[in-house]
Amino acid sequence: MAAWIKGGATDADGAIAAAATLLSAAHAPVVAGLCADVAAVRAAYRLAGSIGASVDTAGAEGTYADLGSLSRVGAMTATPAEAVGRADVVLAVGARPWGAPLLKRLSETKPTRGRAAGAARSLLALGGPSGTGAALACPAEAGLPAALAHLRAYQRGHLAGDGPVADLATRLAAAQYGVVLYDPAELGEAGVEMLTGLVMGLNETTRCFALALAGPDQDRAVVQVAAWTTGQPPRVGFGRHVPEHDPWRFDAARQAAAGEVDAVLWLAALPAPRPGWLSTLPAIALVGAGSAGAEAAEIVIEVGVPGESLGGVLWNEGRAALTYRAATGPTDLPSAADVLARITHAIATGKDA
Amino acid sequence: MLTVIRGGRVVDPTAGRDAVGDVWIEDGHVVSPSARTPDRSVDATGCVVMAGGVEVHSHIAGGNVVTSRLLLPDLYVSEAAPEGHPFAHAGGAAAWIGATYARMGYTTAVEPAMPPANALATQLELADIPLLDRGALAVMGNDDQLLQILRDGEGKAAVRDLVALNVATTRALGVKCINAGGASAFKDGALRLSLDDEIPVYGLSTRKIMGSLLDAVEEIGVPHPLHVHCNNLGLPGADDSFVATLDAAEGRRIHFAHAQFYAYGAADPDNPATGGFRSAARRIVDAMHANPNATLDIGQVVFGQTVTVSLDILRQFGGRKGAKPKKWVLNAGDAEGGGVVPFLYRPRGPTSSLQWAIGLEIMLLSGDLERTILTTDHPNGGPFTAYPRIIHLLMDKEERDREIATLPKIVGERSTLPEIERELSFSEIAQLTRSGPARLLGLSDRGHLREGARADVAVYREDADRTAMFTAARLVLKDGRVVVEDGEVVDWRAGQTLSLSVESDKAMERRSEAYLQDRFGQSLDSFTVPDAAFGEAGVFEDVACRA
Repeated sequence: MAAWIKGGATDADGAIAAAATLLSAAHAPVVAGLCADVAAVRAAYRLAGSIGASVDTAGAEGTYADLGSLSRVGAMTATPAEAVGRADVVLAVGARPWGAPLLKRLSETKPTRGRAAGAARSLLALGGPSGTGAALACPAEAGLPAALAHLRAYQRGHLAGDGPVADLATRLAAAQYGVVLYDPAELGEAGVEMLTGLVMGLNETTRCFALALAGPDQDRAVVQVAAWTTGQPPRVGFGRHVPEHDPWRFDAARQAAAGEVDAVLWLAALPAPRPGWLSTLPAIALVGAGSAGAEAAEIVIEVGVPGESLGGVLWNEGRAALTYRAATGPTDLPSAADVLARITHAIATGKDA
Repeated sequence: MLTVIRGGRVVDPTAGRDAVGDVWIEDGHVVSPSARTPDRSVDATGCVVMAGGVEVHSHIAGGNVVTSRLLLPDLYVSEAAPEGHPFAHAGGAAAWIGATYARMGYTTAVEPAMPPANALATQLELADIPLLDRGALAVMGNDDQLLQILRDGEGKAAVRDLVALNVATTRALGVKCINAGGASAFKDGALRLSLDDEIPVYGLSTRKIMGSLLDAVEEIGVPHPLHVHCNNLGLPGADDSFVATLDAAEGRRIHFAHAQFYAYGAADPDNPATGGFRSAARRIVDAMHANPNATLDIGQVVFGQTVTVSLDILRQFGGRKGAKPKKWVLNAGDAEGGGVVPFLYRPRGPTSSLQWAIGLEIMLLSGDLERTILTTDHPNGGPFTAYPRIIHLLMDKEERDREIATLPKIVGERSTLPEIERELSFSEIAQLTRSGPARLLGLSDRGHLREGARADVAVYREDADRTAMFTAARLVLKDGRVVVEDGEVVDWRAGQTLSLSVESDKAMERRSEAYLQDRFGQSLDSFTVPDAAFGEAGVFEDVACRA
């Protein structure tokens, strides 16, 4: 395996020992990124739990837009395959859905299951780019949350009249199975909450479901592993030897900016953009082979890429589920889970000694 | 290593045993008394010795359980972790679930609702529950692939092959149906469904779907009978649904989940929706007596805050406006999906008090406790941590009277609980929590202490305060190894996930491959639960089908 300490090449044992030393000496370490397979994420929580670190993820902005709204008002959702199979009306909110493979598939197919089977499918847009070909497109000049609030006011009957937004509300209410597609990172928590209220309201008379697009990260997998491992969403701190969930406090970027962190372990077995604050701190980076070099951090350890050079459980966007991806080729690189377990073990043994 | 647990009151109803005696253990199993000198001797004087507890219906893993933690991050309290496990005191987490069950003397637990589309996540989560053997039931009855086969009248063999394929793919221990057809009907606009109502689009009924699954389970030889969650859960008049479903089983083996939630007779038959309910415990117990093919678990209600999690999205949608606090999640998933609705069983509230009474009433009126299993349908009726308190109430009439005295009069007006004198014995408690559930799951190696049994053993210090006695066992052995001592975990070993060995039919595999490619754009492979997905080896243990 390839590993570097301060730019100089080293071997696995040397890099793992150096990582253990750095983390052992830290008072307020952070384990961040978590863009990796389930086994690695699981090992990352075990490491964080054992050293009292806090945890944050690569896709936290979108994840917490959804989770914040979820814990305030709940959610009413469907899956991609259900949308493709059943929806006669699809509303895309914002710009990002228009670049998603799912929307392309929705535009090329018709409902085949349920009461809308055989009907045409109409695509509607709120705040999307121009030239989408949507049957009805409404702008969102005051921003997406405000546009959704406006639409919801028509849906609830607080506003009445003609015009494209009223028309949009009418079409959603007339749908047999509506789907509202969005990217939580683009909408933000207030937008997701407004969208959820709209969807729940529509279900007083018909069926309509929200469907969030996942980010390029593994946050959907991390949310599940975090929930069953700690009983909490991903952003927890173990500083007091008990998982404490606090999305503001354990925002790694905020912590770094505030000078609250003295060491970082960045886990990105799958490609993830490295945040700027990473280079300001003593850091260990576990990176997928070929995605970064010696410059990525003070200590860099290359690991196998799950779903490519190693098998692993990953978020499967098309299935909206965790699925196992077998390796497509051989590697002599270790798994991220293995390296994390060895670091955890080295720290524990160091303590005993 | 030869171990003897000496001088305890050994309670094993399957052997008619309730007397002071010894239990000998070697190589993880109970053995006949030995003349050899034991390597280890445990003094159990003043203790009650039972087989490890077996849980048949507790929502301990899967998408809904995950969602409930995200919806209510503050439902459980986390405490600082003890030495030896970083997450054991993280309230509601997998490690906490394993540790809390083990401390109560439980050694096996089954998650009753694994949607095949999310089997891998459920199995990964189950595998992270330490100390217990685990298992999961694959849920069928709302998926388009099955409903198409039934609509097209393809016959029993096709249904059997599809069920077998689902069990094999998900590595389930058994099969469950949840308001069969209800989730599908909900997606097509329905808000209620009874046994013979037509399910939109498919022209089927719950009776037809459930009947086909009952047959399939028998043909495959699944040891656990079809696990059935009926229509109309929690509604006044749900007793009619229960009895109609029992009749529809036509003598086939059937298990009823959380029967308490169906023991609600309409108080005003002319206005069932508004007149409230009265206990139908006697009716349920009589129906069970007349149908030895049936078993039930209770779904006992516990006062306080909880969260209801269910794949019965029709019911959960119907109950959303009763959410407390006022937030809820409904996921219309690839077959069932799931609904998560927080709920407060209001302490001393009239409705919750009556529900509480009805669950106890069913157990205390039951003529066959071996077919009556203690559950709270965790967390739907309340948390499984309430089992010791429930056992206390069942064993102690005075304790029951003290509690009833604090409750509204409706308990006496609409249930017979206050009149019941019966106090259950240790042997009867063992039937509710050990021998009954093990037999129900078809696991002949546990739930008893006869020779050859797996050495899953709980030793409780006898105490008139049964709540204290059953909350923290003095000693718990899993496979002959001590895992709990004086109520604390001393060995964080992992149990195994019990999974039924079943061959899937190659033709059905090919057919499903084509179906899934069309529907999901992905292959059957993406639904599997391979060994390689687990961090550790030896996660699964095979369970054989019935001969």
